Amino acid sequence: MRVVIGEDLALLRDGLTRLLEASGFEVVGAVSDAPSAAALLERDDIDVAVLDIRMPPTFTNEGLKLALAARQRRPGMPIVVLSQFVEQLYARELLESGEGGLGYLLKDRVADVDEFVAAVRQVAAGGTVLDPKVVASLLSRASAREPLARLTPREREVLRLIAQGRSNAGIAAGLFLSEKAIGKHINNIFTKLDLPMAADDNRRVLAVLAYLQAADSPTR
Amino acid sequence: MSRPVRSAIYPASVTVLRALPRNVAVQLGVGAAICLAMIVIWTGTGGYFWPRWVLFGVGVILALQIAPRLAWRLPPGRRRRLALHLALDAVIGPLEVIVWALSGGGLFWPAYPLAALTIAFALHAWLEYQRPDSHERELTSRIDVLTRSRRGALDTQAAELRRIERDLHDGAQARLVSLGMSLGLAEKLLETDPEGAAKLLAEARSSTLSALDDLRTVMQAIHPSVLADRGLPGAIEALALDVSVPVEITYDVAGYASPPIESAMYFAVAECLANVVKHSHARRATVRVEHRDGRLVAIVADDGIGGARLGFGSGLQGIADRLEAFDGGLRLRSPDGGPTTVTMEVPCELSSART
Ligand SMILES: Nc1ncnc2c1ncn2[C@@H]1O[C@H](COP(=O)(O)OP(=O)(O)OP(=O)(O)O)[C@@H](O)[C@H]1O
Ligand SMILES: [Mg+2]
Repeated sequence: MRVVIGEDLALLRDGLTRLLEASGFEVVGAVSDAPSAAALLERDDIDVAVLDIRMPPTFTNEGLKLALAARQRRPGMPIVVLSQFVEQLYARELLESGEGGLGYLLKDRVADVDEFVAAVRQVAAGGTVLDPKVVASLLSRASAREPLARLTPREREVLRLIAQGRSNAGIAAGLFLSEKAIGKHINNIFTKLDLPMAADDNRRVLAVLAYLQAADSPTR
Repeated sequence: MSRPVRSAIYPASVTVLRALPRNVAVQLGVGAAICLAMIVIWTGTGGYFWPRWVLFGVGVILALQIAPRLAWRLPPGRRRRLALHLALDAVIGPLEVIVWALSGGGLFWPAYPLAALTIAFALHAWLEYQRPDSHERELTSRIDVLTRSRRGALDTQAAELRRIERDLHDGAQARLVSLGMSLGLAEKLLETDPEGAAKLLAEARSSTLSALDDLRTVMQAIHPSVLADRGLPGAIEALALDVSVPVEITYDVAGYASPPIESAMYFAVAECLANVVKHSHARRATVRVEHRDGRLVAIVADDGIGGARLGFGSGLQGIADRLEAFDGGLRLRSPDGGPTTVTMEVPCELSSART
């Protein structure tokens, strides 16, 4: 699997390169600023990009802008955006297109190598992976609303993991339950929230996220 | 304005002309035209130069208009009052001398009124300097306010730095120390007890995560990244997305405030929204930010239980101190039973580009 990396801190860039190469990725480019990352993203032979959100020249959110621009040109282009901080605002902007192949994670997550690599693979395969912090804040905002308040604690747990982008198997492993039990919970959740049962995992994630974000979205 | 004549008095006269309002300038023109017409008529009739009385009348009217206006341009206070007095004297004094000259001279009777005018002016000046000027009093009290608010701001800042230091000390630093210990122990156990070592390593990893969390909190409290990325409107939008009460935002500011003011307003709105969540039991809240009369105004309102008071916690008082350092302030309207409206404002000029 071919990956490009955009990260301005040499320490992290080298670490990411090493980590991904050790996990069977081929790192075809690792650059340290937004213009070179933009040039790399033009290439059509890459399977996934990992971008730091804050890079030279302005050190603000060029990684996010690069991701949005690249995905406008090539819808669904798999990109993992990494950041020191997560903002719901940015998650919302990234998810707006409704396309999969997207990850938005705290940099901290690289500490769990297996999970991080799994997330990159999942994004490369067209999945959506959101940082647990974003999901937690989404849920706390939405949980006061009526239909969500009717979920059992267990169902809420499952919903949280769905929103992070976990597969049934992933959720089952996380909660020490059988996949069958998870399937039942998911059925209940979708019924209670009145969501149409989605065909594949990624569509399911997007449906749940859209539902959570719709909660009285602020107007400007 | 074109420059038709280049004479030595030109710059000075132009300055005076420019300083005058349009209607006075028009009067000046009309006056000059009348005088000119009278002189032309006189050249036809000849004899006694009667237009001098017309010139005199027009001159008096114009002088009475112009002199006080020039004096009025001074800042209010005793200097302006004295200048007004002087302007009147400057018209009346020469007027009397001219009347004396036009009426054919003789005994210099204007000496008496001129002396009276001079004495009156001297008396006025003496009285003015007897008591402190109201303008000066205003300045003095303003200096008091500034001194107080600067001290307040410095206190707030010092307290904030202490808090940051304590947060780093108790949080990230303590965790890094324990991390070092776990790693050292793990190294030791590697040979003899690999299982124990693995446990310590896992602990070490979770310790780094907590340290990162602590650092993140401290960093966001210093300068939130989204404020750097998106400025005030984006940062307030991001704030609203993070609170559990639905917030409606109206952002009506055509331009950018300076970064310190944006930051102060951001933290002010953040505290108000935190209060809404913590105390108000509100069902919804609104944030309105606008720029009017040279002030950046933010209004945070909720439909909750009310009863908010300044000084019961550190939050609202902290905002008030911070805003006062910018010459701004906070107004709280929160009757028991609600609703609550917090209005915060800071004098501020907008620039067209973000700095
Ligand atoms: N929106 C609100 N609705 C109702 N009550 C409020 C609201 N905001 C503040 N209050 C009341 O006013 C008091 C003062 O608020 P303030 O923000 O100064 O302190 P705090 O929130 O209690 O503590 P801190 O902000 O220091 O953590 C609060 O204790 C609360 O009782
Ligand atoms: Mg408070």
